[in-house]
Amino acid sequence: MDRRTFLKASAGIGALASTGGLSAPALAQGAAARTLRFVPQANLANFDPIWGTQYVVRNASVLVWDTLYGVDDKLEPQRQMVESEEVSADGLTWTFKLREGLRFHDGERVLAKDCVASLARWCVRDGMGQMIRAIQEELVAVDDRSFRWRLKSPYPKMLLALGKNNTPMAFIMPERLARTDPFQQITEFVGSGPMRFARNEWVPGARSVFTKFDQYQPRREPASWLAGGKRMLVDRIEWHIMPDPATASGALQNGEVDWWETPLTDLIPTLRRNRNIAVDIADPLGNIGSFRFNHLHPPFSDVRARRAVQMALSQEDYMRAVVGDDNNMWRLLPSFFTPETPLYTEAGGEPLKGPRNIDAAKRLLAEAGYSGQPITVLVAQDQAPLKAMGEVTNALLRSLGMNVDFVATDWGTVGQRRSMKNPPGQGGWHIFHTWHAGADCVNPAAYLALRANGEQAWFGWPSSAEVEAARDRWFAATTLDQEKAAVADMNRAAMQHVTYIPNGFYLGYQAWRRNVTGVVKAPIPFFWGVAKS
Amino acid sequence: MLAYIIRRILATIPVMVVVALFVFSLLYIAPGDPAAVIAGDQATPADVERIRASLGLDRPFLVRFGAWAWDIVRGDLGTSIFTNLPVSLMIKQRIEPTLSLMIITLLLAVGIAVPMGVVAAWKAGSWIDRAVMVFAVFGFSVPVFVVGYLLAYVFALELDWLPVQGYTAFSEGFGPWFENLILPAIALGGVYIALIARITRATMLEVLQQDYIRTARAKGANQGSILFLHALKNAAVPIVTVVGIGVALLIGGAVVTESVFAIPGLGRLTVDAILRRDYPVIQGVILLFSFVYVLVNLVVDLLYTLFDPRIRY
Amino acid sequence: MASATVLAPAAAPPEPVRAAPALPDIMPPVKARKGFWGFLLRYPTIGIGGALLLVMLVIAVFAPLLWTADPTALAPALRTREPSARFWFGTDMLGRDVYSRVMYGARVSLLVGFSVALLSSAIGLLIGLVSGFIRWADSIIMRIMDGMMSIPPILLAIALMALTRGSVRNVIISITIAEIPRVSRLVRGVVLSLREQPYVDAAVAAGTRTPVIMWRHILPNTLAPLTVQATYICASAMIIEAILSFIGAGTPPIIPSWGNIMAEGRALWQVKPYIVFFPAVFLSVTVLAVNLLGDGLRDALDPRMAKRI
Repeated sequence: MDRRTFLKASAGIGALASTGGLSAPALAQGAAARTLRFVPQANLANFDPIWGTQYVVRNASVLVWDTLYGVDDKLEPQRQMVESEEVSADGLTWTFKLREGLRFHDGERVLAKDCVASLARWCVRDGMGQMIRAIQEELVAVDDRSFRWRLKSPYPKMLLALGKNNTPMAFIMPERLARTDPFQQITEFVGSGPMRFARNEWVPGARSVFTKFDQYQPRREPASWLAGGKRMLVDRIEWHIMPDPATASGALQNGEVDWWETPLTDLIPTLRRNRNIAVDIADPLGNIGSFRFNHLHPPFSDVRARRAVQMALSQEDYMRAVVGDDNNMWRLLPSFFTPETPLYTEAGGEPLKGPRNIDAAKRLLAEAGYSGQPITVLVAQDQAPLKAMGEVTNALLRSLGMNVDFVATDWGTVGQRRSMKNPPGQGGWHIFHTWHAGADCVNPAAYLALRANGEQAWFGWPSSAEVEAARDRWFAATTLDQEKAAVADMNRAAMQHVTYIPNGFYLGYQAWRRNVTGVVKAPIPFFWGVAKS
Repeated sequence: MLAYIIRRILATIPVMVVVALFVFSLLYIAPGDPAAVIAGDQATPADVERIRASLGLDRPFLVRFGAWAWDIVRGDLGTSIFTNLPVSLMIKQRIEPTLSLMIITLLLAVGIAVPMGVVAAWKAGSWIDRAVMVFAVFGFSVPVFVVGYLLAYVFALELDWLPVQGYTAFSEGFGPWFENLILPAIALGGVYIALIARITRATMLEVLQQDYIRTARAKGANQGSILFLHALKNAAVPIVTVVGIGVALLIGGAVVTESVFAIPGLGRLTVDAILRRDYPVIQGVILLFSFVYVLVNLVVDLLYTLFDPRIRY
Repeated sequence: MASATVLAPAAAPPEPVRAAPALPDIMPPVKARKGFWGFLLRYPTIGIGGALLLVMLVIAVFAPLLWTADPTALAPALRTREPSARFWFGTDMLGRDVYSRVMYGARVSLLVGFSVALLSSAIGLLIGLVSGFIRWADSIIMRIMDGMMSIPPILLAIALMALTRGSVRNVIISITIAEIPRVSRLVRGVVLSLREQPYVDAAVAAGTRTPVIMWRHILPNTLAPLTVQATYICASAMIIEAILSFIGAGTPPIIPSWGNIMAEGRALWQVKPYIVFFPAVFLSVTVLAVNLLGDGLRDALDPRMAKRI
């Protein structure tokens, strides 16, 4: 048998053997200084970043897998695994050449055919990948270190697609793993990144462990988000899941963990007072809260009803409910896009600015034909921001004189029910809440929630030709000014159509002990460059 | 005796079948779709359908139940929908913390509650009796998580005597293992202590009125030996019964305690699985709990023969 | 020669009869008291428990009149304020008045407690009677009840809540289903032991039909243990409701209950402990009251205890 099959077999047997044991014993005292204990935002229940697209899976995956490109802190894609790329003059042929010395965790070299298989799997599940696949002529390995992607029409955003941080990211896996159906999980976790996933120490729902991969070759440039050299300064990273925020707070104060990804805003003053703990913003790109309508059924199939809610909705109420008293952590958002980014625009955002007008809203609602039917609001009780938003919505709708059918369930049920297009009285819905990471709302590239192509759109199924036309203009744009104009048009059209209502822009904190250095503000908690003394 | 044990073990089978059927039916009609959660925000309904099909969720009820039951009989508890790990492995990883917690809680509770009940019965009618009983009832009345938070705040954060959360495996030393479990055990034990103390007092009261106690007293036996040697032994049967029934309560309380103290045990595993609709895990764990409960009751029945020689099987 | 009959020496005066030695202290003499107040004094736990419960009932019924505001009125700008003259118990994370929520919360918690106690007793009684009397049904029913009892009640309630949406009605139904097996077992036990009594035999021999036997002979004897059990179920149901809310599977937050006020405030309890403290105190006192009531009832209704008088 050839070497690859032998390694695969022994890895398989090793995995089988190691799954028989209980958690491994603790390390000696000295090694504790090289172990970083982190409390993540949510449970890491599965670990296939293409199959399961939750944020926490992506955050863990960036440790284990590398990407061809990576965006830096300006969200510009930079080369990562790629040494050089070439685009033909007509923009139809892309040729990529890999760096020297890239290896997988099983010791094998990273070859072009691994990249081809990984990208093929990624394209099926990712929005931009699907767009590329639709115009794909051929994706093939030219030799061991280069591969070629031929398209039927130009796709200027190719590098952004390959290097973006929005989930699912275009991770490079060994070919045999990448051949797994994109709707099934991979069974081994052989990666190309700076840390290995210690599968035999994984207790799903409680703990995940990553150990340093010594053969990783970081780039020479300084690290900047997903770009540059990913130098690991700790040997071992442990993720401890703590469902109770009060417990996590106590653990951080007591030194039982080193870094907490999502401390509650209300607990920050206590953490700040502790001399051993540092607190800062987690992700400068923040989050955009979403109040989402069902456009298929009355009353919100009538744009006047949606506008009525839009003119009555108070973003301040929602933000205080979600974030708390700290005014640094939220701002009003008369826009669908992320503030402090190049394409940010407030065009058309007037309805969300200024004092709220309940009486005019009630009149508009009556005009739209609302006559007292119950409004079904889906509220997930197990996600704190959504739970808070749901209660504010209940108060808002009741102040408009509407009857509210408050459906309190869990996020899984909301996920199922929101996909149903039946009328609300028969298992459908009128309103649900969610939020979008600011990183996903910087531009229309990965912004699924802003699509307005009717039945194929995201849940709610808004339909507006104007919004779609503006979006197409952005994709075809070649200069920054053209992009800005297209985005402004899109914002205006979406505001008028009330695709959904952004109920505010909010940030979160992160907290860590002072003996940990190198923590940066970013949409993903980056572990390279983080040291512990 | 052996025949009795075998008969009892065989009798558990129909019970387990009922449990299996009940749990399976429950999950079948539950709304909420794990496939939708897995598919994530970007998926189309077609994607979700594909995931459902790959998980085998689109087959009819009897087929699914039959397949699962057949696997159970062969010892295969199935594979988790979300983590893709075998359910038996997930249970094995998390059984030690829960077992440790329950054993320590049991020992603590029995160790505190039985003497409490004995003293209350001995001084029946006096203020000691009333005080002990009200104290016991408090254990019943304050919710477990409130007690847990208070204990963690006072003993871990303020006094820094004990860790706030977490679990250390027994293999890493008795001290750390015990330290992590004291506070959770006290929080969890409150309810148990109340229950056991009350039943101890009630049965001891009855027993203390018996003629043989009066005889022992007349003989001049000292109070201690009367209470513990003669009386308690005869009162043991109902007490042990309640201890057995209380195990189900403990499991329920463990769910909350494990959340508050971040102990990676079975309670949290089950609640997470229920809220996510990870069917194989839910089914496997509940089946396990039922089996343990039935086993505990069998042990309790066997213990009767120790305490009451009149009981023979 | 010796003297002849000698008169017995003058006998000492007969000794007075001494009282019997004091009884050992395990049998103190009991003074029987009469009347309602006498009853309460004999069973103080009924008095205390009943009084506390009455206070809670008054709070629940007259909540709107107790200087409360709308418990669902949000004011996010006034969130997490400490207790003060304006907000007696402070405000929670959405700016709602905790005092009003606790007063109105009494309604839900008491409703859940009483409803579960009543429903599970009624249904458990029915099942227990049927099971105790009809032999062929007995083994099937008891297998099912055993199965359900072997699933920890909290997990059963969570699973049942996962079937549906959060609401007071669903919480009541879930907890009731989890408590029925215990009640039915209790009733069945009583029925089985009563069935052997001579007077039941006599009734059967006299040709009385089964339903009449159940109604006239069996049922009255089950009421005493059933009532006691019902009070414990009431207390347990209130705590289970709190735990369900803690997990996130309880009553929706737009309807305040002591359980979900605590659940919402739990993350902040280190910095704003009053959000958890006040509902915890009210819940604990109520559960304590119900438990004391149950203890007292058990002592009062136990025929063996009555012998001591």
